[in-house]
Amino acid sequence: MNSTWIVAEKELLDLRRDRLFAILIGFLAVATLISVAVASADFRNQLDAYNLYVANLANSGSTVTAAAPQLFPLKLLRGGIEYLEILGALFAIVLGYGTIAKEKHRGTLHLFLSRPVGRFAFAGGKMLGLSIVWLGVVAALTAVSLIAVVTIGHAPIQGIDVARLLIAGGFAWLYLVFWTALAVGLTALSTRLSTGLIVALVIWLAFVLIIPQIGDTMDPDNQVPGGLFATLQIQKADELAVLAQFSAFDGIRNGLEVSSVTKHFERLTFAFLGIKDQYNQQPLSLVWAAMLPYAITLTVATLAAVVFAALATTRRTLQRKQS
Amino acid sequence: MNTILTSARHEVLCTLRARVAMLLLVLFLGMVSLSSLIGWLTNTTVTRVYEKILADGLTTAPNPFAAVSALYYSRNSVIYVVLIGALMAIILGVQATLRDRQSGTSDLVLSRPVDTIHRLIGQFLGLGAVIAAVLAASTVISWASISIIMGAPLGFDTSVRLIAFATLSWSLMMIFALLGMLTGLYSRKETTALLVPFVIWSAIAFVLPQIGTAARPVALLNPVPALVAPGSASFDLIGAVTGPFTITEQFKRAASIVLRDDSVTGSPWLSILLLVAVLIAMTWIVVVTPRHTLRSGLNE
Repeated sequence: MNSTWIVAEKELLDLRRDRLFAILIGFLAVATLISVAVASADFRNQLDAYNLYVANLANSGSTVTAAAPQLFPLKLLRGGIEYLEILGALFAIVLGYGTIAKEKHRGTLHLFLSRPVGRFAFAGGKMLGLSIVWLGVVAALTAVSLIAVVTIGHAPIQGIDVARLLIAGGFAWLYLVFWTALAVGLTALSTRLSTGLIVALVIWLAFVLIIPQIGDTMDPDNQVPGGLFATLQIQKADELAVLAQFSAFDGIRNGLEVSSVTKHFERLTFAFLGIKDQYNQQPLSLVWAAMLPYAITLTVATLAAVVFAALATTRRTLQRKQS
Repeated sequence: MNTILTSARHEVLCTLRARVAMLLLVLFLGMVSLSSLIGWLTNTTVTRVYEKILADGLTTAPNPFAAVSALYYSRNSVIYVVLIGALMAIILGVQATLRDRQSGTSDLVLSRPVDTIHRLIGQFLGLGAVIAAVLAASTVISWASISIIMGAPLGFDTSVRLIAFATLSWSLMMIFALLGMLTGLYSRKETTALLVPFVIWSAIAFVLPQIGTAARPVALLNPVPALVAPGSASFDLIGAVTGPFTITEQFKRAASIVLRDDSVTGSPWLSILLLVAVLIAMTWIVVVTPRHTLRSGLNE
């Protein structure tokens, strides 16, 4: 345990001094701030359009009333969550790759492995250190998101919103640890370091961008701007009844989506933050009940990735000569 | 001239020998091949959904997919160029310039009477030839698969449009290949050389379009370019400023018009002009790299 903690401590120290890491996290924070600013500007535009519409109605003497657009503070974070899905995973891969690569480049790996350390001390220490780093990053991003919603979005935050945000932060931590662990394992297994990074990037490309994109593309409602059913003026109940007859196609589409860990993270966070209308303003117990399968799969995937990293990062794989 | 040709040939050989590069090329070609199938499967299902709605008497609106062009089936290729194609080009570009610095062969090559401009133009042309070959293969695959779906060989106009789309794709991919070459030349670490263009790509593909259009990052994975939120003066203004820099959105716009996507209207020429201008500027920035930079070592 002692040598594991020493490796973890060294990792924390290294990352505290790493300018590239600081730039990446800064970029993620700025992207989150921008997305909140854009979403709140977009909401204000909708509100202006609504006020104009109401004024025009009043001037024309109409008695028709229209529902005002409602601001749900946590919905402003949708862009930020999507950035975490895409860029957070990318940066997690880079961090996982870097942690193995630097030890090989500096030659400190051989020095470490010449000491009487346990089988999992190196991998365990690295994963422990990186998990702590991601915990800090997620905590900072949660704070940034909260401040951005209050100050930029001018939205009131309640205790329950903070609780929802903390739960989403927990899932974000699991998601980032998953990608880091995967990159650690792949880099350790690769004879050429850059091969490990590129293979991890190909997996990222496939599971974060391509598979969810195919799933979206295959959604019948996404085929027409504004939605197929809205264009054809079909009620929700009729839409569900029609789609029920195409369950095989929808099963394939959904199967593709759920094969990506990114979609599990997205569905969890969208549900808890109320971004998905179906779960907006619903009690947490109801959301937990509905999202439990996704919570389990994300947790299992992360544990599997950590075990993979630990098993792949052996003395033999680490000391292989670079081709 | 000899230096340019030798460098180009060397670049092609090195790329063909790189297993990771081949993996990306196969992934790209595989996705392009699949895109027609996905397009056809989705269109068939949506048409059946519409027919069911019509039979149930829930609508009297005409079928929105009745007159889709044959090129509709390759619309997903647009996003695969932005995602896989651009990232593949970045990796090829980084490896092209980093390879000599890692192995120390740049010292050997530059000890000969070799002009650095000729050397870099040669590498650029070598990469251009590899990317052109991949796009030619993907165009043939698209042409054949759409012909099979339509039950007849594609006509002259449709075939020319597919070739025009491949040319546009080449321009975009070469911009990112040049970006990769640039970071491969200037970075002191391999990680930085790969990561910096990835961050720039993500800023161009996601952050800038979001600022200008209020589109969410995942919505930007749509093959159709994002539109400015209606009635929004602020987004109009910001979109006008950021628009020229969002080359992926410019590419999507030009490609959608070329592929006859009805949801995008107007002329593609401004977008094409912007892409060409960026390509020329990037080429110039790369080829004027000083000799000492090519010979600089790596920190790892």
